[in-house]
Amino acid sequence: MLTPLFFLKRSRVEATGNQADQPPGSEFALHVKGVNKTYPNGVVANRDVSISIMKGEVHAILGENGAGKTTLVKIISGCLRPDSGEIYVDGRRVEIDSPLKAISLGIGMVHQHFTLIPSFTVAENIALSLPMTGRLSLDQVKERIKSVSESLNLKIDPDVRIEQLPVGLRQRVEILRLLCQDVRILILDEPTSVLTPIEVEDLFRTIRELKSKGKSIIIITHKVREALAISDRVTIMRGGRVVKTLMTKETNESELASLVVEGFCPSLKIEHGGRGEPLLIVKDLRVRGDRGEVAVKGVSFVLHSGEILGVAGVAGNGQKELVEAITGLRRADSGTILVRDFDLTNRSPRTIIKKGIAYIPEDRMRRGVILTMSVSENLVLKNFEDPPYSRKMIMDKLAMERSASELISKFGIKASDPWISVSSLSGGNIQKLVVARELSNGASVLVAEQPTAGLDVKASEGVHQRMMELKSKGVGILLVSADLDEILKLSDRILVIFEGRIVGEFSRDNCDIQKIARLMLGASA
Amino acid sequence: MMEVEWALIIGFIAAGIRTSAPLMLASLGETIVERGGILNLGIEGAMLIGAFTGFMGAFLTGNLWVGLLMAILGGILTVLTFGILVVRINLDQVVSGLAINLLAAGLCLYFFRLAFSQGAFPYLSELIGPYPIPLLSQIPVIGEVLFNQTIFVYVGIVSVPITYYLIFKTSYGLKLRSVGEDPLVASYLGIEVSRIRYTALILEGIFVGMAGGLLCLSMFNVFDTRIVAARGFVAVSIVILGRWNPVGAFAGSLLFGFTEALSLWIGTFLIGPASASISQLLSLLPYLVTLIALLIGGRRVRGPAALGSPFSKE
Amino acid sequence: MGLEVKRSLALSKGTIRSLYKAGISIGFALLLTSVLFLLTGANPFLAFYYIFAGAFGNVSLAAETLVRTTPILLVSLGLAISFRCKVWNIGAEGQLYMGAMLGTITAVALGNTPLTLIISLLVSIAGGLAWASVPAFMRAKLGINEVITTFLMNYVSIYLIQWLLAFPFRSPDTLFPESAQIPPSAVLPVLLPYTRLHLGVIIALFVALPLVHFLMMRTTFGYKLKAVGENPEAAKYGGINVGRTMFLALIISGALAGLAGFVEVSGIQFRMRPSLSPGYGYTGIVVALLGQNNPVGVALASIFLAAIFNGSTTMSRALGQPQGVVDFIQGVLVIFVLASEYILRYLERKGVLKV
Repeated sequence: MLTPLFFLKRSRVEATGNQADQPPGSEFALHVKGVNKTYPNGVVANRDVSISIMKGEVHAILGENGAGKTTLVKIISGCLRPDSGEIYVDGRRVEIDSPLKAISLGIGMVHQHFTLIPSFTVAENIALSLPMTGRLSLDQVKERIKSVSESLNLKIDPDVRIEQLPVGLRQRVEILRLLCQDVRILILDEPTSVLTPIEVEDLFRTIRELKSKGKSIIIITHKVREALAISDRVTIMRGGRVVKTLMTKETNESELASLVVEGFCPSLKIEHGGRGEPLLIVKDLRVRGDRGEVAVKGVSFVLHSGEILGVAGVAGNGQKELVEAITGLRRADSGTILVRDFDLTNRSPRTIIKKGIAYIPEDRMRRGVILTMSVSENLVLKNFEDPPYSRKMIMDKLAMERSASELISKFGIKASDPWISVSSLSGGNIQKLVVARELSNGASVLVAEQPTAGLDVKASEGVHQRMMELKSKGVGILLVSADLDEILKLSDRILVIFEGRIVGEFSRDNCDIQKIARLMLGASA
Repeated sequence: MMEVEWALIIGFIAAGIRTSAPLMLASLGETIVERGGILNLGIEGAMLIGAFTGFMGAFLTGNLWVGLLMAILGGILTVLTFGILVVRINLDQVVSGLAINLLAAGLCLYFFRLAFSQGAFPYLSELIGPYPIPLLSQIPVIGEVLFNQTIFVYVGIVSVPITYYLIFKTSYGLKLRSVGEDPLVASYLGIEVSRIRYTALILEGIFVGMAGGLLCLSMFNVFDTRIVAARGFVAVSIVILGRWNPVGAFAGSLLFGFTEALSLWIGTFLIGPASASISQLLSLLPYLVTLIALLIGGRRVRGPAALGSPFSKE
Repeated sequence: MGLEVKRSLALSKGTIRSLYKAGISIGFALLLTSVLFLLTGANPFLAFYYIFAGAFGNVSLAAETLVRTTPILLVSLGLAISFRCKVWNIGAEGQLYMGAMLGTITAVALGNTPLTLIISLLVSIAGGLAWASVPAFMRAKLGINEVITTFLMNYVSIYLIQWLLAFPFRSPDTLFPESAQIPPSAVLPVLLPYTRLHLGVIIALFVALPLVHFLMMRTTFGYKLKAVGENPEAAKYGGINVGRTMFLALIISGALAGLAGFVEVSGIQFRMRPSLSPGYGYTGIVVALLGQNNPVGVALASIFLAAIFNGSTTMSRALGQPQGVVDFIQGVLVIFVLASEYILRYLERKGVLKV
């Protein structure tokens, strides 16, 4: 089955310096070679990525957000087509052009966002992915579920609706579904990001069972401890490339953490003065996410005037829900949010805006702008009812235009005319627009989610400069970013958030980058 | 004395069921389609076209059954046109439904006037009447009420379990419901969303065409552009109130059918100077009842999760 | 200052697109209508000539077209406001009738006083507004689909009014189920002798149109309408109260429809009849869509539909065509208005048009 050509290619893989330790004579269940993928918006997600998965091994792909891991596995599972590269399954070259094709080749993926229908039962969901015609024979499906789940010691009640199941069991259903489809290579994308510690143990047990049955498992994770706990080999990715592949038992937390995040020294040309009085006080905040899970588990912090408080963490650890609760776009279950002495917990977005909280949202296209309206109209989205933009309900277009032109030049937004529609702007310029608006409306607290995402270096510098200006004027800035460099550069204090809790606090003086990185990745400090 | 009243009551119940027939059929069809995630507000127009083609078919050929066939074809054609707008071109479902209604009204008025000059008063000399089922219709009470009805009632009643089975017990039904909950996930799993939806629309077309046709071929023997009288929208309301379940739709259509029959029958019972007045006023009863029912039972109800949302594979 | 003048003169890209879309819709609709004419043995060019002549042929015909434009314009302006924030009010017909009825009752009750007209007009506005507030509430507060509720309210309104006219408010001096005549001081004065052109035209074209234009284009409310219609999530993020905006939009459109109703009574019918409106509430939907919810576009589209209304009566008589041409055109028009965006994109892709 292994062609001579395949052996040649293997040695080329070794020659490129990947220290992938391959026990002699092993067959690769999956071999990926030289995959490149660039998205239409110019981001290079995968750069000459090669990876090999052995039969019956648990292989972790470790890296931060944006490292390219998810893109790689989406290519392997048929959700994306690569620009170039080759994939071999059991030694045969294959083209994986759809998720169904991948399944037929024995490759299946459990995504971060489950592909289950919440109002259907377990059996119904699994039935959907099995071939069927005519009468719905759920009994047959249930039989299959029973035999597969028993052979792996996985208990699940097939008649329960997905929405009634806790997240850990939902994941189990996803895995079961793949097994019912005779998948031999299972890909799990950040499987523990939504699980409680007990559920994580269950998952690991399941993975060991699957391994003992000869299945190969690829785990995508950003958590160093997880990779160490469960994998046989680990591949670290950074910036779209494969950094290294190691045998898990030959490495440790520190080595892995340092490979994932490049250590560096922040250039301290930023003014960091003293901080003022407390502006935003968050106490014991509990917020639920979209799937009903508790995303923010009792977070407390104080943001002072003239301070930049960075919240470091890998995306998906509760930052989104925290920010939405503070800005009035999501209900908080319990806890308080105070701005000066006003209780803003669960008040309307309008009230919160009026009390001086500005917000640069992460999803700027959907939430931050109205694409069909003009640049000028979008720039006044939050204060169009106040003078000078309107008096007694009548809008002053000249005032809007004047202020728009000012902001366009100040922030370098490439728009030929303040009245053109925002949909004709590039993504980066749209982001500049949102930043421009939020940094200029006289707020006392600014919540910034990934404020420089998608901006080039010059524009990012510009944004950072504005933020420093605001800081010197006494504005308190809550900076939420998955870009550790940005956080380290700007913040006076840094909070590390992991799984909905603040797991660390650092001030500028005692910031230990390695420590922060480890906390972000769930390792112990 | 007692016997006369008893007979009247039985007659009323039978009439109520008969009056429910168009709503029964239309709401069953709409239930299927909405389970697939499509909100078809154009059934009002589809029923109108069904009524029109049914009437014309019967009038021109002298054969009521040809009329019925034409009604069904008219219903399928209209609903499929809606389907193309919504599934193929991916236009907004609400506005497309409204457009179909306006188009249907325009077409029917024009072609009716084209066929018959201003003063003409075309009518069908006979109607599809009740067809008593031999033996069963002899049973006292139940026989009269259930087994001495028009074929439309029979089709309606029989379609309830069939539709239920289709939606909940067949593999097509599972796929249909998955498309209505999350077409993105469904297509990821390899389900052909468009094909599933078109199938549902064709089924709805059959039901709705029949519902419209029976208005002209069984209930009244004339055609008028106002003949549908919001029954299509009442059917959509019934689907909501019946929680997208064929049995619920059946119950809802009975409720409104009886309300309509009641408003007609009270007139028969009333005597005295105000009777004509009150019986005319009662004609708004079904609509009022529908509104009140929506007020009570229609708030923040969750239908199929993807109902009304545009979907394209890109 | 100069910038603003230049801005208002030059046509923005958006306006050009809208014009193209309107053109495409009308073009295809007329094309299909021509096919229909051919099939029924009429010469399309002749037919369109008659329609045009019937609408604008002489002063009195043109006046009639303006008369027909008045209620259509009032209704469509209201619907443009509602549709702008994607609240689909299809109950304009019922709101129109309710406004007309309440205005008539008021006029007859007040009798021949100098204030009767103005009070009746205000009552009709309030009547349409109130009638729309039920579905508006159900939508804004309870999330119940407004298409269903407004449509059902049409039937409640019309049947209720039919009853009112047949019994409690039946006219004492005629045989028909209609109201008493409104007093002379409640009649909108005629502007042009020997025509029916009444003050209502002024109200529609020179009061309502500029007011609605101002409301939609220059006020914060207009901004909110646009924002809620285009992106409710971003609107909420910006602090806009989405539910309240939708509620106001629906009741304002009801108010305008109610006004349209009484204007018809006061200017044309002089008493309330069940046959007051030949479907203006639905024509308004077509006009609002054709005019892309823009008040100026809506005004032009109203005149267009009014012309077709009147012109096709002339044409029908001249060529022996059936009465329903205007309904056919309306129906076909609305489908093409919907599809016009896609047709435009298709033509752009094929290089036929460049916008």
